[in-house]
Amino acid sequence: MQSIIERIEKEIAAWAPQPKGAEEVGVVRAVGDGVAEIDGLSGAVMSEMVLFDPAFDRPLEEAIGASSALYGLILNLEEDGVQAVILGDVSKVYEGMLVRRLPSDSSTHAPLGRLLSIPVGENFIGRVVNPIGEAVDEKGPVSPNAFRNVERKAYGVIDRAPVSVPLHTGIKAVDTMIPIGRGQRELIIGDRGTGKTSVAIDTILSQKREPEATRPLCIYVAIGQKESKTARIVAELSERGAMDYTTVVTAPASSPAVMQFLAPFAGATIGEYFMEQGKDALVVYDDLSKQAAAYRQISLLLRRPPGREAYPGDIFYLHSRLLERSAKLSEARGGGSLTALPIIETQEGDVSAYIPTNVISITDGQIYLETSLFNKGQRPAINVGVSVSRVGSAAQTKAMKKVSGKIKLDLAQFYELEAFTQFSSDLDAETKKRIDSGRRMIGILNQDRGKPLPFEMEAVIIFAASNGYLDGFAPADMRATEELLQKFLSREADDVLMAIRGSKEISEETERMLRERLEAFIERTVPSI
Amino acid sequence: MIDTYTRLLEAVIKRGDPKIADEAVNKLVAHLKSAGRMNMLPQIARELRKIVARRDSLRPKVEVADKKDSVAALAAAAQNGIHAANAAINPTLIRGWRAREGDRLFDASAKRALVEIYRKSVS
Repeated sequence: MQSIIERIEKEIAAWAPQPKGAEEVGVVRAVGDGVAEIDGLSGAVMSEMVLFDPAFDRPLEEAIGASSALYGLILNLEEDGVQAVILGDVSKVYEGMLVRRLPSDSSTHAPLGRLLSIPVGENFIGRVVNPIGEAVDEKGPVSPNAFRNVERKAYGVIDRAPVSVPLHTGIKAVDTMIPIGRGQRELIIGDRGTGKTSVAIDTILSQKREPEATRPLCIYVAIGQKESKTARIVAELSERGAMDYTTVVTAPASSPAVMQFLAPFAGATIGEYFMEQGKDALVVYDDLSKQAAAYRQISLLLRRPPGREAYPGDIFYLHSRLLERSAKLSEARGGGSLTALPIIETQEGDVSAYIPTNVISITDGQIYLETSLFNKGQRPAINVGVSVSRVGSAAQTKAMKKVSGKIKLDLAQFYELEAFTQFSSDLDAETKKRIDSGRRMIGILNQDRGKPLPFEMEAVIIFAASNGYLDGFAPADMRATEELLQKFLSREADDVLMAIRGSKEISEETERMLRERLEAFIERTVPSI
Repeated sequence: MIDTYTRLLEAVIKRGDPKIADEAVNKLVAHLKSAGRMNMLPQIARELRKIVARRDSLRPKVEVADKKDSVAALAAAAQNGIHAANAAINPTLIRGWRAREGDRLFDASAKRALVEIYRKSVS
């Protein structure tokens, strides 16, 4: 026995660790404001992840005791080193700290270099994660299906197909006048407190009604938001069963600027994974103004030359490369789609500011929410004159196209007439009729937040309003009338609703049946109002 | 301007001629005096000190856990292209050696091996 022990001890004494080959390292020269200046790392590339290694200059016990890995993201390449933003606790990085390049693949040490990547997969559905894919919802770590680079080139022309499938928001004003298609990028823009987030959240809630097989998986990206607001949104989504198909990526106001800069890219990466599986995905960036401010902060700290409003020169590219990743893929690519609803906050309704004009020009249309309409009680406070969808009408269902035909034009004429009536109280009967009709339509398009409607119900309500079935009701009573109509239709016109839902159009036969039911509704309801 | 003056001095020093370097310093001091910018001098000195410290940190360095391994470690490092005059003793390495020059690192220490085993086991 003794001889065996001696032999083992001899083997241990003879053990000599072998170097795994040359590693490329750097040393932290200076650190401040979340940015580390690093000497060395001469082979590193842009957007590469590096590891801050506290184990190098500490005894084994402390090295093992050091908490989880701390990464940096290289954003500046310089003559004698690099500058990296720290993706985590800045206080743990110190001058003289060793920084390592990572192996490009976990199975090999060569070649070196790993671009910033995050875990993605089906297990992220129903979870709240930070921009580097770490769970923040206390449900434990998320096991990923794959890792994907956060920055990647958008799909090219050949890989794309035209937007042709509608994305129902459940909001009457949007689905009728500003229709959104799957794969589209529709900007939601407006001052603070005008209901931008509500439009996006209602759109997510509305997907609950879609058949599971074609239901878009949703990603809500909260950038620079108060944690209480994000918690409220997550609670609402959970309560309404929407977390079953939603992932929340959060970079709160208290998180480092780099996290707020990365959050939309992380959301796009998760969405792209679903798109590449042939599924439809919807990503909400709430909001890109805060991401632009975070990027401005990083750029100024990296001493990049400031331009207009102190934003760096590549601020347009920041948003264009993000939003270009939304696409409707061709059948050869699986036919999936990634729809984007970026949100931009304006100041005093100024849509001609730098960031709003940039994002307006990148997106395929915008939903413009106005403070004055909000204060008048219009919900959602959409200014239909300025709002537009450039590709969505191609994706609109026949039923919706049929009922929404001239609403936008009629409303534009109504707003003009309404402005005119402010100067004259003596109106002829025809003008008064048109004004009342416009007010009725505005009343019908009013909709409380959190109550998205099925598209067939929207179509029938708009059909009733635009075909004069509600002319017997006072414009001020439209909300109550609509509630009665909804109840009546659910009870008495289920077959009509089912027919529209199934065929996505209003055939002659369905229209005849619908008109009969609407006449019955008027007969029963008008005396009671 | 501080950065520009520092880089100019660094370039002159890099040429390796102390006479030219002295002359450059004299001329710079005279220029700063005439321009009334002498308050820049301490900052230039501080930047130069940083450059020296940075160069020192990138110089060839070999560390061993035990003094008796010095010769073997220096030879192994030299085989990998890192030529150091002597090896520093660093008992935290536990066993083995490591060598670094510029941004190249060869780590053959037991500490590195053990930390790697630990990280693999907990991840």
